[in-house]
Amino acid sequence: MLKKRLIGVVTIKDSWAVQSFGYKNYLPLGRPEYLVENLERWGVDEIFVICIDRSKHNLGPDFSILKRISSMGLSTPLIYGGGICTSKDAASVIQLGAERICVDAVIHDNHEQIREMAELIGAQALIASLPVALKNNRIHHYDYRSKKSVPFTENKSSLLSQGIISEALVIDWKNEGKKNSFNLNLIKYFPTKNVPLIVFGGLSESELIARAFDYPSVVGAGVGNFLNYSEHALQILKNGLLRCAIRPNTFCESEKRH
Amino acid sequence: MKRLIVGIVDYGIGNYASLQHTLNKNGQRCRISQDHNILNECDILLLPGVGAFRPAMEALKKRGLDSFLLQQARFKRPILGICLGMQLLADGSYEDGYTKGLGLIPGEIISLNNPRWHIGWNEIEILKNDILFKPSKKKSFYFNHSYTYQGPDEFQVCMSMSNKRIISAIRREKIVGVQFHPEKSQLAGSTLLNHLFREICHA
Repeated sequence: MLKKRLIGVVTIKDSWAVQSFGYKNYLPLGRPEYLVENLERWGVDEIFVICIDRSKHNLGPDFSILKRISSMGLSTPLIYGGGICTSKDAASVIQLGAERICVDAVIHDNHEQIREMAELIGAQALIASLPVALKNNRIHHYDYRSKKSVPFTENKSSLLSQGIISEALVIDWKNEGKKNSFNLNLIKYFPTKNVPLIVFGGLSESELIARAFDYPSVVGAGVGNFLNYSEHALQILKNGLLRCAIRPNTFCESEKRH
Repeated sequence: MKRLIVGIVDYGIGNYASLQHTLNKNGQRCRISQDHNILNECDILLLPGVGAFRPAMEALKKRGLDSFLLQQARFKRPILGICLGMQLLADGSYEDGYTKGLGLIPGEIISLNNPRWHIGWNEIEILKNDILFKPSKKKSFYFNHSYTYQGPDEFQVCMSMSNKRIISAIRREKIVGVQFHPEKSQLAGSTLLNHLFREICHA
């Protein structure tokens, strides 16, 4: 059976990897390639590189970073998000080495573009990034450009259930960067039931991730800076998730080989 | 021992440079080309692929690579298709209407349906004790597809379980297809590729 995935997330702003807190405060970490290299070595199930300043400034995808990462010869699947507005952008990102892409701003702006992307690169390569919060048990969708939250519309639910997007990345944006704080009610009250979910934001401990994995709709969990706080963080997380259907640690096997 | 040369068939769809970097890191020498003469000098041909079946077949035909691959198969040149590359080896696909494939391995490509995708890491089971896959028994590999192979049992060499049985590798003599991405499957993938290249070239 398919394993639930632990996804290493690298957040990039102004071409630098950053620690992000609640979508508003950022601390620099260093060159993105070094973080990607570590995630690959530790054996995360997927690497998600997200450039958070591209759509806001209409910069398009960061092809320069993609080229640098591509030249590293990763043997871990790569998801890229940031600045993807058109099917041409999507195709270029795939050509540069990402297995899958993640879109955010275009979900607010233009669903026709998403359909075109799905036709060109396939729905299996398309993930919807959804920064959300709960108000009165109702999901509200946050637009990081306008800094406004609006109720999750029927139109967006329908987009997710049509099969042109294969997974939704549910981001607890308010708790992003805050230890052990992901709000599990975001999964419970998520309006579309037939789309697989990846959860992200405030997931630092295996117990909370395991509780998220208990929901059948959750197929993966994104972990960002928490992987950098302590040694062997990924191995510790994976060991704590042994009761879930995950891919076991591979770090020791890989290290022996090197 | 002589290092094998892997010829990555460049038909304009996919990221060949990234694949080359991964294979180089894994110890393989690679050539990326659509030139028949260059590919002809390689020990094994690798047919990668991302995207949809129809444009991929059109791209192969446009470059005369469809007839080249058929000719190479007749010459018993080992060929490995990865993901969409595996699907292209079949007789045809029902993705977006029906499109004829290379017809190197009998069978058709059909939609997965419910669930519509098979994405993530899954174990493979070896169906015929095939020597190419022996070291990979019960290992997990990375999958990312929404269409799947359906064909005669004799060509099915590995399967994986999702809600249903998914054929994860097919083989007809020296022509092999894998539905998963060994190049993106970390140590399990590199072990499989090293073993498969060595065994199939010396079979």
